[in-house]
Amino acid sequence: MYWTGGCGGCDVSPLEVGEAIVDVLSGVELVFWPALMDTKRADVEALPAGSIDAVLINGALRTEENMEMVRILREKAKVVVAYGACAHLGGIIGLGNLHSAQSLVGTALGEDWQASPPVPGANGDAPPALTAGVVPLSDAITVDYVVPGCPPPAQLIGRFFQALLEGYMPEVGHVFAEEKALCDQCPREKEDRPIERFVRPHEVETDPDKCLLDQGVVCMGPVTRGGCEAACPNLGMPCTGCVGPTRKAGDLAGGMISALASLVRAGEEGEDVFVQEEEVLDGLVDTVGTLYKYALAGTWKRGSGGGGNR
Amino acid sequence: MAEQKHEPKIAAFLCRWCAYAGADLAGTNRVAYPPNMIPIRVPCSGRVEPSWVIEALRSGADAVLIGGCHPGDCHYVSGNYKARRRMSLLQKVLKELGVEPARLKLTWVSASEGMRFAQVVRDYVEEVRALGPYHGEFGVPRELHEVEENVGQLVRQAVSHG
Repeated sequence: MYWTGGCGGCDVSPLEVGEAIVDVLSGVELVFWPALMDTKRADVEALPAGSIDAVLINGALRTEENMEMVRILREKAKVVVAYGACAHLGGIIGLGNLHSAQSLVGTALGEDWQASPPVPGANGDAPPALTAGVVPLSDAITVDYVVPGCPPPAQLIGRFFQALLEGYMPEVGHVFAEEKALCDQCPREKEDRPIERFVRPHEVETDPDKCLLDQGVVCMGPVTRGGCEAACPNLGMPCTGCVGPTRKAGDLAGGMISALASLVRAGEEGEDVFVQEEEVLDGLVDTVGTLYKYALAGTWKRGSGGGGNR
Repeated sequence: MAEQKHEPKIAAFLCRWCAYAGADLAGTNRVAYPPNMIPIRVPCSGRVEPSWVIEALRSGADAVLIGGCHPGDCHYVSGNYKARRRMSLLQKVLKELGVEPARLKLTWVSASEGMRFAQVVRDYVEEVRALGPYHGEFGVPRELHEVEENVGQLVRQAVSHG
């Protein structure tokens, strides 16, 4: 298990499966897990190619070191799993693509920030350089499977470990989640009412039995894969799309825009309708943060700039 | 390197009942308009997925034009209203991403407005030319026919399967 650009929640998440973790741990031999064991990059480099059965990589790729490590792991592992939303889609880290790497560091550490020069002969200790933009794991190496979520829900982690330990892994490319949208698992009642006003979760007390979209809260359920048993909607919070888009939705924001466009409708005649609809649509604040919370980096890359002169 | 004149690449999604028929009429009337646009025929402007527009920009188009029926004239009653809502939302997202809103344009052209279609394309090409090439940080410069291949594939898949 390896942790690149992420919060570390994924590294802890296997504990979510509860007692079953004992069966998992007795079925595997851990060779590399920096958060848990004293293993270093050199230990992995010393392993023969293809000697690791499966490596779970969590986190988006943000530094040159991330890039080097995942390439090494790809060479050493038979199966590479993108574990969690950051590795799968770029995740919240991916929202960093709204800014240049330089301005991010400037904001975090002050514009006049400088790395102190490494001690002579100790270049390896210098902090790794940031890449121009965040990319999900599949941009750098071939990914065999995806265990999605932020962090992956216990059910999906369980499904993956079961398949791995019992030796019947699905076809390469499989995403360990449902093909159907989250709404399929959501117990809330949908009435298909037009949205008259967008509200944010903290602004209202929502009806626990009715669809959040019907109540004007932007819930990403219609375009997000099921698999989490609608964990957030069950607790009164809208889905934010961490499990990633269904095959049909393709792009999280694109799919959700289509869904919202069907729900905001003031009428079918005359251009006055446009004005009314615009008033409703303007009520949607932070569109990128809402619709692309986890999937920005997978769709919108930040290159080295320029981009040619055509 | 010598300064090359920037030729805008525009992907156009045209509704088969109005805007595409208008483009056809422009053709049969031999009205000239710049060749910077690649037309993609869709059943209705309301069928245009925001993700197709995103793919067009990602594939190297400098701008996306969507042509539908005039309000009230939609063959499917209100598809153009839906298109307007979709593109209005998408434009908000693009704006937050730092993409100029003018790179996405929704316009109404009826089947009888061949002259208007040609004028819309002429004006839009100049508008996009003034904007310059699409924001290089996100876009990948490619040729117009490659844009058509990428986006066309998406559209064909979606329209044939559903």
